[in-house]
Amino acid sequence: MKKMLATLLSGAMVLSLAACGNNGSGGAASTPGSSSAGSSSPSTESVEDVKTPTGPVTLNVTTTFAGEDTNAANYQDAIAAWQKETGNKLNDASGSSTETFKARIISDFEMGSEPDVLFYFNGVDSNPFVEAGKVVSIDEIRQTYPDYASNMKDGMLGASPLDGKNYSIPMNGYWEGMFVNKAVCEAANVEIPGPDTTWDEFLETCQKIKDAGYTPIAASFAEIPHYWFEFCIYNYLTPATHNIVPASVADKHGTAWVDGIEDMKLLYEYGFLPENTLSATDGETFQLFIDGKAAFLIDGSWKVGGIEGATDDIDNFTVTYVPGKNDRLTTDIIGGLSSGWYITRKAWDDPEKRQACVDFISYMTSDEMVTQFASVSATALKNGSQVDESQLSSLAVAGLELVKGATGMSAAVQDQVTQEARVPVFNGMPDIVTGKKDITIAVEELLDLVAAGK
Amino acid sequence: MAGTTFKTNRKRRRISLGMAGIYVVLSAWALTTIYPLFWILMNSFKNKKIIRSDSFSLPIGDLFTLDNYRTAFNRVNILGAYRNSIIISLSVAAAVILFSGLAAYALMRYDFKLKGLLNSLVLAGMMFPAFATIIPVIRMMNVIGLANTNQVAKSLMAVILPQIAGNLSFAIVVLRGYIAGLPIELEEAAYVEGSNAFQLFFKVVMPLCKPSFATVGIFSFLWSYNDLFTQSFFLKTKPEYSVTVLLSLLTSQEGTNYGLMASSVSLIVFPLLIVYLFLQKYIVKGLTAGAVKG
Amino acid sequence: MSSNIYKNKKPVIFFLAPAFIFLAVFLYYPFLQNILNSFKEINNLGASAKGWNAPWYTNYIQLCKDPNIWTALLNTLIMIAATIIGQVGIAIVLALMVDNIKKGQKFFRTVYFFPIVIAATALGLLFNIVFLYDKGMLNQLRELLGATKLLDFKDSSHAMLTMIVPVTWQYVGFYFIILITGLNNISEELYEAATIDGASRWQRVRYISLPLLHNVICTCGVLAVTGALKVFDLPWIMFPKGMPSNSTWLTGTYMYYHAFESHNVDYSSAISVLIVVLGVVTAKTVNAVFKEKDY
Repeated sequence: MKKMLATLLSGAMVLSLAACGNNGSGGAASTPGSSSAGSSSPSTESVEDVKTPTGPVTLNVTTTFAGEDTNAANYQDAIAAWQKETGNKLNDASGSSTETFKARIISDFEMGSEPDVLFYFNGVDSNPFVEAGKVVSIDEIRQTYPDYASNMKDGMLGASPLDGKNYSIPMNGYWEGMFVNKAVCEAANVEIPGPDTTWDEFLETCQKIKDAGYTPIAASFAEIPHYWFEFCIYNYLTPATHNIVPASVADKHGTAWVDGIEDMKLLYEYGFLPENTLSATDGETFQLFIDGKAAFLIDGSWKVGGIEGATDDIDNFTVTYVPGKNDRLTTDIIGGLSSGWYITRKAWDDPEKRQACVDFISYMTSDEMVTQFASVSATALKNGSQVDESQLSSLAVAGLELVKGATGMSAAVQDQVTQEARVPVFNGMPDIVTGKKDITIAVEELLDLVAAGK
Repeated sequence: MAGTTFKTNRKRRRISLGMAGIYVVLSAWALTTIYPLFWILMNSFKNKKIIRSDSFSLPIGDLFTLDNYRTAFNRVNILGAYRNSIIISLSVAAAVILFSGLAAYALMRYDFKLKGLLNSLVLAGMMFPAFATIIPVIRMMNVIGLANTNQVAKSLMAVILPQIAGNLSFAIVVLRGYIAGLPIELEEAAYVEGSNAFQLFFKVVMPLCKPSFATVGIFSFLWSYNDLFTQSFFLKTKPEYSVTVLLSLLTSQEGTNYGLMASSVSLIVFPLLIVYLFLQKYIVKGLTAGAVKG
Repeated sequence: MSSNIYKNKKPVIFFLAPAFIFLAVFLYYPFLQNILNSFKEINNLGASAKGWNAPWYTNYIQLCKDPNIWTALLNTLIMIAATIIGQVGIAIVLALMVDNIKKGQKFFRTVYFFPIVIAATALGLLFNIVFLYDKGMLNQLRELLGATKLLDFKDSSHAMLTMIVPVTWQYVGFYFIILITGLNNISEELYEAATIDGASRWQRVRYISLPLLHNVICTCGVLAVTGALKVFDLPWIMFPKGMPSNSTWLTGTYMYYHAFESHNVDYSSAISVLIVVLGVVTAKTVNAVFKEKDY
């Protein structure tokens, strides 16, 4: 017990040290230290079947914090500190979240060689191992550790699409917004769209930009129509109703999808997309935006880093709300928390490892750590994240403002649709916008695949 | 290369117009193959921001940077990764040369009932995509305890075994073609002198086909070295990383950091080329010796 | 084979066993699983099947009905023609030339190898920049030559050519190496004897090199058709998802798409079965056309 307390204390010290590095959040440092890490000790006493670890424990950890992930370095520092403080060892098998990596995770679960602790997607990607009961729900963990994830808003943890239960604790979320190349807007003599801009005004703006000889919208409808799909159908729904997959093409949601895709087709017909939007890759259209040939780009919060890395003049770029229409306010955004920390059933049932897993995740999901990892993106923290804006680029600050000024938020509905079911609409987009394929039929095909459980 | 020393013995002719034409054509093609490598090397010294917009200019003055390499070296133990890569690829190349040679020899020289079937199977084996066969292989590796052990030697072995199999079909097909071209009289002569089938293979066929075996070995080595797919399933933790896996983790998820990509490719390719150029001398020597014997 | 030294067939098993044990364990058995998978319902690579398809041959019915498969087969046919004529053809010419020069053999052998060692992602980026619509290398060149309109090398009328040229170029070196190795296997005495008999260089090529290279060329033909059927990396990077408008699918890219993008793993398995069947049939055809010869 003594050793464990020491562990926890030192853990808390690391937290406060980490917090000191973050200007302005020092005051909040003590709160999470006591709420997350400190809380686990009384609960351990009350439950007898949980043994206190007798020595250093080795945990197998797999995360997506690798490669160019903005948090790869943060993560390495965090686990190094934790290992040093606790004496425990971590075998880190993180990788970039490529399709190969996903296949590896899934096959590991299939073969019973899954890691102890996993940071992974909480959408449909988690279905295989949630369905197989290979990860432990937050509710079950709280029966033993009542304060587990108590610094988070339960409603935002990112429930499994399978059974609506929470299995993971998120760190950094995402939002989607419209990035703007200011120079293009200036050259075309148009206002940068703002919180009050309506869809119709936006169309007028696009026309002016087009007349000035620029491409209004940088998007490859052939490769990544995803973002425009999301917002165009959002325009016929509201934050409360957006994240629901239609039951049929004729119901309210089904009509919204058809109407939204109709709007995408109009964008194409108006000539607001790059001439070669049906033959260019996403990388090529993104470059148009960076090179000052296109004005607008809808993308996610992860693109902030992408733009920072691609330009020397970051102040030429900003991010704003995607103009809305009907009941959707322009300031209603798409966003959510798409990944989280899981404890696997295998580790949970291992008395040697259970405590260490809980400790480690509590450490990683403390307010400071989450703030550090989340930076400009949304979090599930009750206290909110305290970001030091002086360290951020003007674009990142604009991103923070975007989230702060949001009047509503909905997760991306496409995350509820498997890759296989998306094919008729997403891969079929070129045929749809050129009129070769009927929109209603494409949506119907997608919904049929969803209904078939694909 | 085997023939170079002999070709100088051929009657010297004055360099004709035709010869000049040959050199022009060869050099033109050489330009197309050298330029991409040069382009990659050049861009690996450039700021990632300008690679897409300005990829054809030289990295001089303001454009020059070592940042891409710094990132690659800072985060990782690249020497350990080279060692792992070399162990994997050398083992694969050696095993492929031996096993495919034996099999190709038998498939070429012997007549037996299942020969047609086996030939078809070898052809089919070339067509199996790695992603169609990897999952059962992972399961097997788990069962025999080579995967997920966190032990470097076992993890390397888990990569080597399927890679050997993956390169065998191609090697057998190519070697069959070469062995078919060998005059059988040489084997008959050795047979008369009392050699058995294995001695024929090792003492006659292998030395005669040295260049062919070298070619097969080089391709197997390369494909094993570049085979990110199989490697990324078995080499999971840092001490196990191969160069390809390690550098693939450095290049962007979104694929937008072209500077890192260029430096990664350079770090993968150039050490290999240098080693190849260095060893080439020895390969040539070995091969010429073989040709003399033949 | 006529020789009686190979009448005693006992050693055969020892020659074949090592290779075929490896192949059986790590290729044939997994591929049998893959064939079974093509009858099941699998949504993620690595996930176990959710059950059998109903009816079990659904995917194969789908194969016949899928217009993308037909596009892929047609494109792959074009690709096979391009690889045989382009890759093997150019490689033969280059190999014969290099075999006939005195200085610089080593140099050309080494540099022709380069495209094979460069990862497809890097080559893909290079070619994407070369063929880029706006400000790409070729369009800039065309501008210099007086063209006023940008040409979209990736639109439906140019896409196939834009894809075939880099893929062909990339593998010429591969066939070149195989062929030049074959040329090196040819005994020098033959050439010397011919030279003494007064044969010209062209006659030596025509009557010694080419006939003796026959089997190796046959091998290259086999490798070319099978290679064209499964190639996916460079085409995928330049033309992901069969862009534009599903017109550039190859059998290889379409299989990759279903394994990794659409997560329709069982369908991808069915496509791989199709590829293997086609591969064996076409390879056998090539063999029959060229007919391996013994000397």
